[in-house]
Amino acid sequence: MDCRVIGLSKSLGGKPVLDNVGFSAGSGELVSIIGPSGVGKTTLLMILAGLESADSGAIEYDPQPSKDQPAILVFQDYLLFPNLTVFENTAFGLRARKLPRKEIKDRVSHILGYFHLQDKMRSYPNQLSAGQKQRVAIARAMVVNPGLLLLDEPFANLDRNLKLETAEFIRATQQEFGITTISVTHDLTEAFVMSDKIGIMLGGKLVQFGPAGEVYSEPATFEAAKFLGPVNVITPSLCRALNLAEAPIPDNCGTMYSRPEAVRIQADPQGVGVISQVNFAGHYICYTVAVEQDTLLVYSLHDGYSPGDRVDIQILKYLTSQRDQS
Amino acid sequence: MRTLIKLSPLLIPFCVLFLGGMVLAVAQSLGFFAPLEAEGGLFAAYSRLLEPPFLRSFGFSLYVALVSALVSVGLGSVLAYGVWKLPASLQKTATLYKVPLILPHIAVAFMILVFWTKSGVFASLAFHVGLIDSAGEFPSVLYSGNGLGMILAYVYKETPFVILLALAMLKRLDPRLIQTAVMFGASRPRIFISVVLPHLKPVLHTTFIILFLYSFGAFDIPFLLGESSPAMVSIEAYNLYFQRDLSNRPAAMAMLVVMFLFAALFIGIYARVVSRMEMRERKL
Repeated sequence: MDCRVIGLSKSLGGKPVLDNVGFSAGSGELVSIIGPSGVGKTTLLMILAGLESADSGAIEYDPQPSKDQPAILVFQDYLLFPNLTVFENTAFGLRARKLPRKEIKDRVSHILGYFHLQDKMRSYPNQLSAGQKQRVAIARAMVVNPGLLLLDEPFANLDRNLKLETAEFIRATQQEFGITTISVTHDLTEAFVMSDKIGIMLGGKLVQFGPAGEVYSEPATFEAAKFLGPVNVITPSLCRALNLAEAPIPDNCGTMYSRPEAVRIQADPQGVGVISQVNFAGHYICYTVAVEQDTLLVYSLHDGYSPGDRVDIQILKYLTSQRDQS
Repeated sequence: MRTLIKLSPLLIPFCVLFLGGMVLAVAQSLGFFAPLEAEGGLFAAYSRLLEPPFLRSFGFSLYVALVSALVSVGLGSVLAYGVWKLPASLQKTATLYKVPLILPHIAVAFMILVFWTKSGVFASLAFHVGLIDSAGEFPSVLYSGNGLGMILAYVYKETPFVILLALAMLKRLDPRLIQTAVMFGASRPRIFISVVLPHLKPVLHTTFIILFLYSFGAFDIPFLLGESSPAMVSIEAYNLYFQRDLSNRPAAMAMLVVMFLFAALFIGIYARVVSRMEMRERKL
């Protein structure tokens, strides 16, 4: 199912929640809308699922959602029916369609097998882990052959080590079933791993929408870039200190910056930078480097520097974005 | 000991009034402390309860209590769901449902009399709109041997009680569960049966027990709306105690003891059956 969102706006209590949001999800695509909490992501999903209405704008589906191909929203807390077993939860939509008993049994058994939940068929939701509950919720949605699958914060209730695995599983499942999927999340890594396209929502506006790689490497605004991860603003004084005179600093309202992972440091007693802080961050070391009156954040695999060490600095990649004018 | 002293404000009235009353009732039912010397042995009064008139009366009381409790619980849970779904602006108006709660049972019984007798308001209305040619043609709602008058009174009085308790329970139901069921294409009856009713089940069980036992043993409504034969057990006990000769008092007391034992047994069996059903559901 193709889904095209055109100029969707909604206010709650006089406060704008969605402001002229527009994007499209092609048939079989997985689109993630990312943004901090409270920017209207869930409201957007509720409108897409038909559970709320927009003040203005339109949603075009092709084909239109129907009982045979509905739009199904999987809520953040899964909302499994607490009094029904995993089997009955999964069969709920099929029973509502009054399908023959044998067909229901076959379809539910098949989908639960795919989701590795056969041994949990007779369990109740309160006997499942968060990951299992999520799989049941997605299986319950998938079994009715939805035209559009909507996922609200699919990683919010999962352990950190389960998030990436779940993102890969959602991606594989979505591709296997070929279901157009729109997910809203604030888990960036997982969103990038599983999505064809990413949209960044800030303050009710969709500030950028495009292929995942493009959104990360070419953020549309400086605010979008900051949301995607820490940035080092390259100021004119920093350029002079680093001898980057030829660096293309935009002279209008633009900002030049680099990501901490795109900055390399090397021990040099004559170096312009001084290590001011060292933080162990697990799979990398986070250094704060003072360069005259500026500071740079640097991610490195090398853990041999201590505060006070002098280093030479090399910026491998620059990004340039317009500042959000609103 | 200190705990017993602390609990004494509760324990003393309980022991004196309830246990004292129970002991006295059991003793009198066995022929002790009776106004006349009992004849026919220790359990003579109880053996009278096995005679057909009492058994009919017991069965009739069970039927009235069961039907009125079932209808009240069913109707109350559906209406509670309806009120819960109302927009917030209409919720205040819906509190009108509480009116019968503040009416005494006796007032409700009189209302049923005023409305449903052959010379009542509905009969008169039916006559004036031409549905019937004379008041005598109005169906016999009261005193027709099927306890309909009492059932109507109990349902009118008890349904708001069910709504009150069910609404409190529904406040804890996540409305998104209903939205989820709607998304999956479930019909209204299916949503009610599969999502709402299971959520209400615990409170409905308790309410059913309360209403059933109340209707089974209550006196005021049967006194005004009940039939003489078969009579509700409470009326039968009253008649035996006050209306006939003193030699019937042990039998009246035996009736009250049996009613108490039945109530205790009913609660025990009901709780056990419900718990087994829930266990079976969990084991499925």
